[in-house]
Amino acid sequence: MMVKKILFWFVVFLVAAWFLTPVVFIFLAALTPAQDYYNPHKIFPSHFTLDHLYKLFFVLDGWKATIISIEVALISIAISFAVGLPAGYAMTRYKFPGKNAIRLSILLTRSIPLIVLAVPLMVIYMRFNLADSVMGVALAHTAMILPFVVLITSSIFSGISVEYEEAAMVFGLTRFKAFIRITLPLALPGLAASAIFSFIMSWNEVFVASVLTLSNRTLPAHILNTAMTSPDYFKFAAGMIMAVPAMIFIFFTKKYLVSMWGISLK
Amino acid sequence: MARVKIENLKKYFGKVKALDGIDLEIEDGEFVVLLGPSGCGKTTLLRSISGLEKVTEGKVFFDDQEVTNLPPKDRNISMVFQSYAVWPHMKVADNIGYPLKIKKYPKDEIEKRVKWAAELLNISELLDRYPAQLSGGQRQRVAVARAIVLEPRVLLMDEPLSNLDALLRVKMRSELKKLQERLGVTTIYVTHDQVEAMTMGDRIAVMKDGKLQQFGTASEIYHTPANIFVAGFVGSPQMNFFRMRVSSEGTKYFAVGFGMKIPLKGDPRKDQVVMGIRPEHIYDQASGSTQEVEAEVYFVEKLMSETIVHTNLPEGGRLVVKIPGDVSFQEGQKTKFYIDLDKVHVFDPETEERIKL
Repeated sequence: MMVKKILFWFVVFLVAAWFLTPVVFIFLAALTPAQDYYNPHKIFPSHFTLDHLYKLFFVLDGWKATIISIEVALISIAISFAVGLPAGYAMTRYKFPGKNAIRLSILLTRSIPLIVLAVPLMVIYMRFNLADSVMGVALAHTAMILPFVVLITSSIFSGISVEYEEAAMVFGLTRFKAFIRITLPLALPGLAASAIFSFIMSWNEVFVASVLTLSNRTLPAHILNTAMTSPDYFKFAAGMIMAVPAMIFIFFTKKYLVSMWGISLK
Repeated sequence: MARVKIENLKKYFGKVKALDGIDLEIEDGEFVVLLGPSGCGKTTLLRSISGLEKVTEGKVFFDDQEVTNLPPKDRNISMVFQSYAVWPHMKVADNIGYPLKIKKYPKDEIEKRVKWAAELLNISELLDRYPAQLSGGQRQRVAVARAIVLEPRVLLMDEPLSNLDALLRVKMRSELKKLQERLGVTTIYVTHDQVEAMTMGDRIAVMKDGKLQQFGTASEIYHTPANIFVAGFVGSPQMNFFRMRVSSEGTKYFAVGFGMKIPLKGDPRKDQVVMGIRPEHIYDQASGSTQEVEAEVYFVEKLMSETIVHTNLPEGGRLVVKIPGDVSFQEGQKTKFYIDLDKVHVFDPETEERIKL
């Protein structure tokens, strides 16, 4: 019994360490003053500094890239949900010919790496004057997020009994109003979780953003471009900036993220 | 409250004929049960009446108004769903009051009616709770309260008791029936449970394969089933069926076979007939006009209040007999049973329809 318990916690510790050690070192390095960082006798800094983060944001224009990143993410989420939500609903509630083929082809779009699409996209964008624009990156990210939104919302809606909606229709609502007043509130936690997940997908995407933009770079593209030619502690500071928002989001929505993927935890 | 008239209603799902020409007339205030095995179309019929299902062909009338193409919200109906469909994000009071809120009733009127409906169903103390905090039986009462709060023209119920445990089901059966009588609302009730159908329905519509088999009172369905399907579907244990030869002696006709010779009341005008005899119409003692039959006991089910005896007939074939009370039979024992000749049913073997003699 005792041995089993010790073994259990040992494995838990190993797994946690596996994931957390790099994160801890990134955060440590990001907050270490330059002279401490290059001192081979010091692992832990004598004091913490926000100097690198400050410089990255305000000297190297990181704040501008952050705003662009947020803009890109919000636009792609808006488009993906405007199109994907009705599509996901239709996939669940209606029977129509070719439904399985459509479902499969939605999945297939995910089998093409975005980086493969990036070059032809660039050519098209130059023609449409979308190159190096926020909208251009947002559209590319929509291509990545939309299939995910369709499949996830369809699974969220299928978890909500159609009889709730039918009851509302019998008692005096139109189909659309029944959706708005009954199904949507019930789906909201799951939809919010998938929106946040979409945000993180866009937030973390770096290749397409790097290819499609030059001056209007999203944060990861900007970091790839500037921080990577800077001293190491800047790279770690950049890593921290990237990781923290994602970690905060996931921490607050973990319950819904788990249920969104259909996994149940006690 | 309304009369409901259904004319030649058809509903096809691709090639599947879920409803294949249904005609039905339901009186104002009547409690009609749609009874049939799963897949017979009874739920599709109910959903067509509600408007949730668009029909392929045919018409639905409430009183003299045609509602065939009206959306459900404009039909002034209400419905109790099999899963209850009590909205989980609303408190019980809001659930019950929602149909009124949609129709923009004033607040105090909503409150008054919610209170009335809740009292009627004994759920007044649950009004502040969320559905997740209720038991299945309580949730069902909420669903019924929500369905009656608006005084619908037609109340539709889709197997409302099937998710309850057996004891509660028996209790709710009588409660629902009493409630319906009190409100006088035209009610259409779907079930596959013949006991529910017999005890609750003013009239029962027996369905199979999208077709109406018989529409009548419980007594009519039981005593004069229209065909072999209805005869076999209603009654427990199931009616005994024997395919027998018809012989005549002068002006008298007999069905002969399986060691039995059963006098018929008239000329069936067939060489062969299917005889139907309910297990409860076979006795262990001769009385009145009975026909003796000898059989070997094969298996006995003792329910104490009654004894169900499965027997083998000498010429093959199985005869099931239901004797009231706790009666002893030995397996393998040869016994005489007595068939009540007044309660024998005769069917056409080809069309399976009842032959009137």
